[in-house]
Amino acid sequence: MTWYLIRRAGQSIAVLIGVMILTFLLLHLEPGSVARSVLGLKATPARVAIFDSLYGLNKPLYQQFDIYIKQIFQGNLGVSYQLQQPVSSLIAQRLPRDAILLGLSTLLALVIGVPTGIYQAARHNRLADDLLAGTWFTLYSAPDFMEALLLIALLCVQFHVFPPAFPGSVNSVGGLFADWPALVLPVTVLSVNSVAGFSQYVRSTALQTLAEDYIRVVRAKGLPERLVLTRHVLRNSLLPVITILGLSLPDIVAGAVIAESVFNFPGMGLLFWQSALAHDFPVMLGGTLVIGAATVLGNLAADVAYGVLDPRIRYAGA
Amino acid sequence: MTVTALALATAVAACGGTTVKVGAGSAVKGQPERGGTVTVAEVSGASPNDIFPLTPATNENGYNIDLTEGEWPNLVYIGDGANSVVNPKESLYSSLTWSDNDSVITIVLKSWKWSDGTPITSRDFTFVYNLLKANYNDWISYLPGLFPADVTKVETPDTHTVVIHLNRSYNPDFYVDDVLYYVPLMPQHAWDKTSLTGAVGNYDQTKSGATAVWNFLQKQGADMATFATNPLWKVVDGPWKVSEFQSDGYYAQVPNTSYSGSAKPTLSKVISTPFTTDAAEMDTLRSGTTLTVAPLPLNDVGQIGELKSEGYSVASVPTPGVAEIVPNLWNAKAGPLLKQLYIRQALEYQINRQQIVTDVFHGYADPGNGAVPTTYGQQFASPLEKSGGPYPYSPSKAEALLKAHGWKVTPNGTDICQQPGAGASDCGAGVTAGEKLQFQLLYASGSADYDQMNAAIQTSEAQAGIHITLKAEPFNTLVATTSTCNAQSHPASTCNNWQLQQFGYQPYSVDPNGSGIFNTDAVDNYGGYSSPQMDQLVNETEYGSDSSAFFAYEDYAAQQLPWLWLPNQDTVFVYKSNLAGFTPASPFDFTLNPEVWYYVKPAS
Repeated sequence: MTWYLIRRAGQSIAVLIGVMILTFLLLHLEPGSVARSVLGLKATPARVAIFDSLYGLNKPLYQQFDIYIKQIFQGNLGVSYQLQQPVSSLIAQRLPRDAILLGLSTLLALVIGVPTGIYQAARHNRLADDLLAGTWFTLYSAPDFMEALLLIALLCVQFHVFPPAFPGSVNSVGGLFADWPALVLPVTVLSVNSVAGFSQYVRSTALQTLAEDYIRVVRAKGLPERLVLTRHVLRNSLLPVITILGLSLPDIVAGAVIAESVFNFPGMGLLFWQSALAHDFPVMLGGTLVIGAATVLGNLAADVAYGVLDPRIRYAGA
Repeated sequence: MTVTALALATAVAACGGTTVKVGAGSAVKGQPERGGTVTVAEVSGASPNDIFPLTPATNENGYNIDLTEGEWPNLVYIGDGANSVVNPKESLYSSLTWSDNDSVITIVLKSWKWSDGTPITSRDFTFVYNLLKANYNDWISYLPGLFPADVTKVETPDTHTVVIHLNRSYNPDFYVDDVLYYVPLMPQHAWDKTSLTGAVGNYDQTKSGATAVWNFLQKQGADMATFATNPLWKVVDGPWKVSEFQSDGYYAQVPNTSYSGSAKPTLSKVISTPFTTDAAEMDTLRSGTTLTVAPLPLNDVGQIGELKSEGYSVASVPTPGVAEIVPNLWNAKAGPLLKQLYIRQALEYQINRQQIVTDVFHGYADPGNGAVPTTYGQQFASPLEKSGGPYPYSPSKAEALLKAHGWKVTPNGTDICQQPGAGASDCGAGVTAGEKLQFQLLYASGSADYDQMNAAIQTSEAQAGIHITLKAEPFNTLVATTSTCNAQSHPASTCNNWQLQQFGYQPYSVDPNGSGIFNTDAVDNYGGYSSPQMDQLVNETEYGSDSSAFFAYEDYAAQQLPWLWLPNQDTVFVYKSNLAGFTPASPFDFTLNPEVWYYVKPAS
């Protein structure tokens, strides 16, 4: 296992370097002048020259890349052209908030989706299974922006139960929890679609597990159905969930543009979207690097979790 | 010559033994209250990120002035109620006179004090001047060739008098409105240093010293984490001080209790709170929360009735600038067509501006009759523009113009040149037989209003057989593609990839002359328009003393159509109905003067 992890770590670094090179080249192939784009209509040649000099854009591409790589190894992701702040600070402000928002919504989806999936499998093809499946698919098929707007119209504008937006003064994780009512709607909206995914994956795997010989054996031995489901079916049904969770990590890091827009939650998604529109290369490069790291880490964590959940799984060279 | 302006009308209201002095003409009635907090919504991307009042050239954030103007107001204050005029009462000088054929300015500063009690003196002006003289290329408000590059000498005969010698004569109104308007005063006794812990000196008096101070202040000014705590920013001469600042744009200002000006703040705090989107802001307004003032997206104008029932009033303020479609006169394909004045005239005749004002902007827009807005700064609007401009919507005139120049006009089809040649009744030089009258209009995406406006233009132009195809691009992409073009850069290949463009509006300073826009060497002359007569007329508005020169320039620009004129949308605000002093407001001081706002108790 140790050797496997070392090898995967090496692969991850190679992937990250590849992502950096590709993204750097693609971004710099964009047409038009970055300085003109950022400085806008009032950009004089002198201002453009100062801008290019300040950010090294007047250097050959290979030198710019060399500088970029050196900065990264010094923990410096550069300075946002548009926001005039260090990219690492921008990410550090937003990442913990997104981790809370998307982490809570994922947790809520798990808490609802996994037991529901097991329950549906246990009640396979009965009314409860059909009703729950229909409910989840209906919610899954509704766009999240529509769910968000409907909830705001009902619970914020009509009945004033929850605030429709995060207060602008919230800039810390502690502040998020202090203003917890503002978290309720975005967490709910973000979890709705995930519940459908988790429950249906778990249901499907649980049905397969329930058909296994060893389940028949434990049932024949007289193990109560509750213990059959929790001890034997649940554990085996979690493997696909691990895969989804591993793949969710980059999503958590990348933010949720729609929820952030609707609920006034300035997170990573909006940061990257706005930086893409503004040709803000340092932010885009920093964001790509962080998302790339989250992707390889998520996959690595999923692989490790497989082994923990199912001791039969052994990796080559482990 | 002394710059004059209308005097600030004030209303004085008694309030439990205190006197509240507010801007003129507030419509809100009731008993004034001292204190209270106002929360102002910041639209997406409207958060300041630099507090140093001489913003660096690489920082294009136009919202920094929302933060700095209240702390370090500019020498010249523009705005007197709804009038866009110099307001001497709120300006930092007691007199400003011109002499020597309008080449020397003598400014006498008011006997005001910095917030730490130190008097404001002419040394504070020379401090600003010295820093700028050494670093003006790195100042966002620097206009090529103007202050401080055009200054030959600055004298300070006494502690409150500054004499500025310029290298040529100027039109005083232009220079005060468009140049000195951007110059603040800064506390030399507190800021003339090169490190936070270092001693204050006279470093600004050498070029290297001035650059070192400039670099230090710029670096401090960009450190958002210390906006509210850095001792530098505690020394102010404006009515406000920053008390809280978060790097995501949330900030609070409290009154400078030592403010020397007449309009002392009545409110105890003004909070600016950021919103990621218009939708989030609207939901907050509709849910009846604590927002006091908020810009209203024009798409949501239909909700005004509902907002009024939530206790809001509505105000609109014209946007200083001109909205336009820029024709690329040097595009290889479309240039020969667009160089023909009669074609630009036909295009303009087919734009139903009044309909756009009504249907797209819900009545909240300047009609766009020419190069100068008519809904503010009335002193600048010529009779021609006030009467609707030279090209009011007229399909019949557009069609007649095209037919008179040899075009076969096919309404809702595409017109074809039948009579090539350069004669008076021909299609024009460079236009070939059988050539179609068609253009691509590139515009900034992301605005439903612009989508609607350009669709309306496309439809109305089609009625005269002028075929327009629309292409939307993100604003920054559009700017990066097209703003490299000016009269000198045409017809380079980089300027050949667009025909017509509409990016929004061209912002104006107070004096809306065409300097920097329509003259041949202008930075913002994206379409490559060049006319010796225009150059001469623009120069006369900038350097001449003839007051009729402005109207001559304005009418010529309106008629010659270096750009096609469009309606320019206003800024619409909603504000709590118990907030007085919010209106009337000039486009140049609108959200920047909460010192004249105050709450009232409803009259019983």
